[in-house]
Amino acid sequence: MRLLIRIRAAVINGWRELLANKVRSLLSMSGIILGVASLVAMVTVVQGMVGNFRQFVDAMGGIEKITVDKQSLPKEQEHLIELSEGLTMRDVEQIKATIPIVRYVSPEARVGFEKLVWEGREVNTMINGVTPDYLPVAKRWVEPSQGRFISDLDILHKTDVCVLGSSIVAELFPPNIDPLGKVIRVKGKRFVVIGLLNNIEAQGMEIRSASGGKSKGGGGMWRWRNSGVYIPISTATSKFNGNDRLSGLGLQVATGDDLNYAVEQVERTLLQTHNGLKDFSITTNEQTLEDFRKTEVAFKLSLGGVAGISLFVGGIGIMNVMLASINERIREIGVRKAVGARGSDLFLQFLSEAAVISVLGGIIGLAVSVGIVSIMNYVLMQAVPTGVVSKFDWIIMLQGLSFSVVVGLIAGVYPALRAASLDPIEALRHE
Amino acid sequence: MGSLATIRGLHKTYLMGDETVHALDGVDLDFDRGEYIAILGPSGSGKSTLMHILGFMDTPTKGSILFAGEEVSALSADRRAWYRSNHVGFVFQSFNLLPRLSVLENVALPLLYREDFTEDAREAAAKVALERVGMSHRLTHRPTQLSGGERQRVAIARAIVARPSIVFADEPTGNLDVKNVDRILDLLGSLLAEGITVVLVTHDLAVAAKAKRVILMRAGQVQEDRRQ
Repeated sequence: MRLLIRIRAAVINGWRELLANKVRSLLSMSGIILGVASLVAMVTVVQGMVGNFRQFVDAMGGIEKITVDKQSLPKEQEHLIELSEGLTMRDVEQIKATIPIVRYVSPEARVGFEKLVWEGREVNTMINGVTPDYLPVAKRWVEPSQGRFISDLDILHKTDVCVLGSSIVAELFPPNIDPLGKVIRVKGKRFVVIGLLNNIEAQGMEIRSASGGKSKGGGGMWRWRNSGVYIPISTATSKFNGNDRLSGLGLQVATGDDLNYAVEQVERTLLQTHNGLKDFSITTNEQTLEDFRKTEVAFKLSLGGVAGISLFVGGIGIMNVMLASINERIREIGVRKAVGARGSDLFLQFLSEAAVISVLGGIIGLAVSVGIVSIMNYVLMQAVPTGVVSKFDWIIMLQGLSFSVVVGLIAGVYPALRAASLDPIEALRHE
Repeated sequence: MGSLATIRGLHKTYLMGDETVHALDGVDLDFDRGEYIAILGPSGSGKSTLMHILGFMDTPTKGSILFAGEEVSALSADRRAWYRSNHVGFVFQSFNLLPRLSVLENVALPLLYREDFTEDAREAAAKVALERVGMSHRLTHRPTQLSGGERQRVAIARAIVARPSIVFADEPTGNLDVKNVDRILDLLGSLLAEGITVVLVTHDLAVAAKAKRVILMRAGQVQEDRRQ
């Protein structure tokens, strides 16, 4: 309690000293201001990019997703090409039956890039044959008010129904038309629209169009994800493709921890069903994520390093000013000691001055960082219209502020120790 | 009045380069409470050293000091600070008021380091002390706005605000004009009534003449100790 009272008195005194030397204080703060501003701005911007990428990976099915694609045979197996059946529903059944840690298997049969027609309006887009497992694997959904997705019954009966991505809806139908139940034509065949997929958007960030408003279909890399049309896989294979071959499989593992084990199992199972032919490739999002993590670390280290150096320089600035200030006030120190101040009182006094300077510098630095990030957001939006806007995070700001306080305190220790250890008699004699 | 300090065999030596300087060379003295003492002597006689040691700013090399019944010749720095805070007041030739603080704050400064004083109590005590020296009309002034005599009165208020046992006045009139010299010396003399021992440290005979007891120092020793 007594210490608190002493600290309070010392902080008030520090504040008065600061006010008494405004220009000097501001100069000594400048290093801290720039340090905190750059630290917070950099971390905020990197964080924005990180969030952007996390969502990208998530939109790709997340870390638990395994993708199996067709692949031409390796050179040593090329002569066996006749035996290659490619990916089929048999693979799907086999994986489901033998690898329990694979939670969902979503086969896809690509019909191709086709023209959709509704009452004279046309739009070209990718048509995919899928099963109900497409939703969990792709981490997508159909809002209850937006109809339903393809069901097992649709697969069984090879129904002519389709589910549209949100950007297709916007392009094919006028705004006042409810697409549900409408009949669209694809390659002369009629399909009933039974559902609309959710709009993939980056959560926690705003995706902006060039005009500055929120774009309806989602911008940038999300746009193509919102543009697909989905039909029952059996309809795709029987009515369009004319064979049972799948263009790929999407698998979801129960947890990301099982990923490597699951990849091994899938490869073994597929080699079995494919008679040893390696006519498929297996990829995961892990590599992408790993690359990204490295980039993130590199960014944080280099930008954090720059900001750290400026904070360090800021600390030196504070120490310098504190030493100069003590030199000017040697007599004052002598007087204070003569009237009863202990070394620890003077230590506290000068440390508090450094702390007040650094806290105030830190707060101003935070304000400056808000400006920097706003400018960076603006510039980013000019350069990349669909750019991602970084948002401020209280935790980052608090960290920046505490960094500045720590730097200020460390920088204040040496000058404060010097003040505390001055001999009162010598100090009083000082001219 | 009772005894305040008993000094026996006090030595203080400094090392200046290769040479050992005997600033105090066997000093025996007794100070009573409420005494008005002048320590007189040329510079280098040891009077300042004696003041610093008795004022708990310095420690002796050898010898004993019984202060208010306690042996205090070998105290830690913090303990000496406690004694300065509770028992000692200083008045300097150059006033040594802090220019950034107001008169009231300057006088309250010693109490800042006393844990038994709240902010209100500090202010109240400072006002009483300023009243005592006739400076309560200048509470919010800065020291630079005051005349020399006024500054020294404020400095005296600061020296007595914590109700010390002893006040050291080091050439208190050295920077004052003739008119103010008597006023300050009378003011210091009036502290005796409150049981405060006042020690004038000076080389000025006229100043020393005001005191009831004159201790003449020369070459680190007491040459003469007379009551007048």
